Amino acid sequence: MKVDLGPITRIEGHLNVHTTVENGVVADARCMGEMFRGFEVFLQGRDPLDAQQITQRICGVCPYAHAIASSYAQENAYQQPVPPNGRILHNLIQGANHLYDYLLHFYQLAALDFVDITAILKYTGKDTELLKIKAWVQAEVASGKPFPAAPFLPRLTGNYIADTDLNIGAIKHYLEAMAIEQKANQASAIFGGKFPHATAIFPTGCTQTPRIDLITNYISLIQEVRDFIHNKYIPDVAAVAAGFPDYWNIGASKGGFLSYGLLPLTPALDSERLFAPGVLLDGAVAVVDFERITQDINNAKYSSPTGLKVRDGVLTPDPTKADAYSWIKAPRYNGKMVEVGPAARVMVDYLQGHNPTVKKLVEHFAAAAKIQAHQLNSVLGRHLSRAICAATIADFLLAEAERLDPNGPTMADLNIPASAEGFGATEASRGGLLHYIRIENHKIARYECVVPTTWNASPRDDQGTPGAMESALIGTKVANAEEQMESVRIVHSFDPCIACAVH
Amino acid sequence: MIDRRQFLKLAATLSAAFGVSNLPAPVAAALKKIDPASLPKLIYIQGLSCTGCSVSLLQAQSPSPATLITEYSQLAFHADLSAISGKKALELIEKFITGQAGPYFLAVEGAVPAGMPEACVIGEHPFAWYLDQAATTMAGAVAVGTCASHGGIPAAEGNPTGAISVRDYYAAKKIDKPLIAIPGCPPHPDWVWQTVVHLVKIGLPELVDGAPKLFFGSKVHDRCPRYHDFQQEIFAKKLGDSGCLFKLGCLGPDTDADCPTRWWNGGQTWCIDTNAPCIGCASPIFARRKDFPFYRLNEQHKVSG
Repeated sequence: MKVDLGPITRIEGHLNVHTTVENGVVADARCMGEMFRGFEVFLQGRDPLDAQQITQRICGVCPYAHAIASSYAQENAYQQPVPPNGRILHNLIQGANHLYDYLLHFYQLAALDFVDITAILKYTGKDTELLKIKAWVQAEVASGKPFPAAPFLPRLTGNYIADTDLNIGAIKHYLEAMAIEQKANQASAIFGGKFPHATAIFPTGCTQTPRIDLITNYISLIQEVRDFIHNKYIPDVAAVAAGFPDYWNIGASKGGFLSYGLLPLTPALDSERLFAPGVLLDGAVAVVDFERITQDINNAKYSSPTGLKVRDGVLTPDPTKADAYSWIKAPRYNGKMVEVGPAARVMVDYLQGHNPTVKKLVEHFAAAAKIQAHQLNSVLGRHLSRAICAATIADFLLAEAERLDPNGPTMADLNIPASAEGFGATEASRGGLLHYIRIENHKIARYECVVPTTWNASPRDDQGTPGAMESALIGTKVANAEEQMESVRIVHSFDPCIACAVH
Repeated sequence: MIDRRQFLKLAATLSAAFGVSNLPAPVAAALKKIDPASLPKLIYIQGLSCTGCSVSLLQAQSPSPATLITEYSQLAFHADLSAISGKKALELIEKFITGQAGPYFLAVEGAVPAGMPEACVIGEHPFAWYLDQAATTMAGAVAVGTCASHGGIPAAEGNPTGAISVRDYYAAKKIDKPLIAIPGCPPHPDWVWQTVVHLVKIGLPELVDGAPKLFFGSKVHDRCPRYHDFQQEIFAKKLGDSGCLFKLGCLGPDTDADCPTRWWNGGQTWCIDTNAPCIGCASPIFARRKDFPFYRLNEQHKVSG
């Protein structure tokens, strides 16, 4: 039977997944990105310094990643030295955004796939916040109104956590996480100006002065976030993993892995990063070469040429194109399908033996859960990888903030050439993000974005190879073919962002 | 801009929607105790959007987002928070917009792809179908953010989708329902939530050009803490300088918003305080023209060679 899983909620944006289920198994899956705006078209002819502002509006969940990628691309084009403060401020802003995004994903977007919200009705403790929720759910259910206790009910049919205390603890943390996410965002806004959509981020740095009061404020906020990560988030991820161990073996993608590396340790863009870059194909990690990335569009709603390199990208929408089923293009590395995201970031770093913190955390959790490192390629592996990233980044930010020089410059005096081009690559929380800018006559002549969910939710490429998420869904056993809780859990583990993927 | 007669008509429609009888002039009304049974239900849908408005709404601090969607309103559907998805989510939305689930408000984030309906699809239908269905059944609509209020980034010059604001979409269809615009890219969470609270506890807030006067009644420049620098002609010469940012391209003089007195993210910061020029994100012309860049420094470089 054919079942559309869309609109899939608790993600960013407009995603449908067209599935074919045979004998209780997903025989086919097609990911359909259903919202298109055309950033690469309307960026043409604009002032280059508009780019890090305009491209933030690709995504309101991870806008800072776009601002940073755009800044890197412009730095690469302008060839101006970056002052140490500038790079540190970029890192502080972007890193705090990662912490917020991991918590948002686990608690607000993914947790309701596992946590039984109705367990609150069995609550017998004295926590006023929980009692308030209990009273609210009771009143809602008794009210006779249509759709009581929305947006938390109704929900999909499935096997939720049975342990009452675990459920109630998770509900409490769902609420606490919202306040902690705000603190991470306050921290990034200290230097970014506001969240979402920072105005203070520029190529080579940031306009805010690193006053000692601001540094102290930043450190204090990140410390609170770090405490939550260690005391609540990591134990909650472990509890979900313990309750659903099958999901170490569900939702593996069937290709390689790509990470551009995250958070440069010195001002130079090609410097070592906190998470090392690399592409993992056929069991070996290789250096990333942007020239090996091409984008297929036979199954995407464009009439522009297929298989173009990033620097050659053109975009002609063809909304009624026959047989095309998505607005998302199909990027491929050396012609191969790869997954990007937290699992790719962690595996690429771990397999190179690069960051000792990452190595320690991977080995600790793998031993605790009795899994192998390659099982990070799974639903639970992606959740665990986010937790590993969060713990690693939080410690880094606390040290990085201390490296600011309150008297040093925070950005270069920008001197923008009439003609230039540049690549900028970083890791958004959802995975590898690449921007390319070409400037001619002081204006943007071409702008190209290859975004995490463009890789992960890509349609079939021109050879017919499914995208990472499609490949993770195909072969999945589903108990209820109409609702497919298993498939929804797989999709959520990728944390798809369709506004990003299509843009 | 609505006249007084239209305003009273809107107020009456709204009071009916919330079960408030004999609503006096809203500004003079006493605070009304909230009745959970008559809480406004919100159906929140997204068109050509980035979800930044929704993310901003989650930055509300006192009250918290959870309190706002349970005690001050009922968020019947929101794609980022709703547990249900797929066919059952569509059934929920369609029950409301076909008028089978009682009064509700439509909250819309994002622009409408008027020239390319395929550019935004939810379930079986283009985004605009949902707006059309809701037009006859909703109590009113809240255009959340600059895209829904003015077109915003998706409507930037040269865009391929023919994007327009929700306001313009409904105006073209001659839909005569109350519509409150809350621009901002993103809007400050207070602007949206306090408007909802005002609707629940008092009624329709006073509007200027369709947006609440309380938040959009004065220019950023006029309340700017650096207004003194402007008067003294202490101007930032390059990015990262303090002083008045006017000569770097600050759009505070052209933008109606209360950022200078409200501040952002818990009230601890805002763009100007980080020496970042206002880019006019709440303005009707935000990002619209290619020949009107956010910053003027590149112009200087061009002149200097």
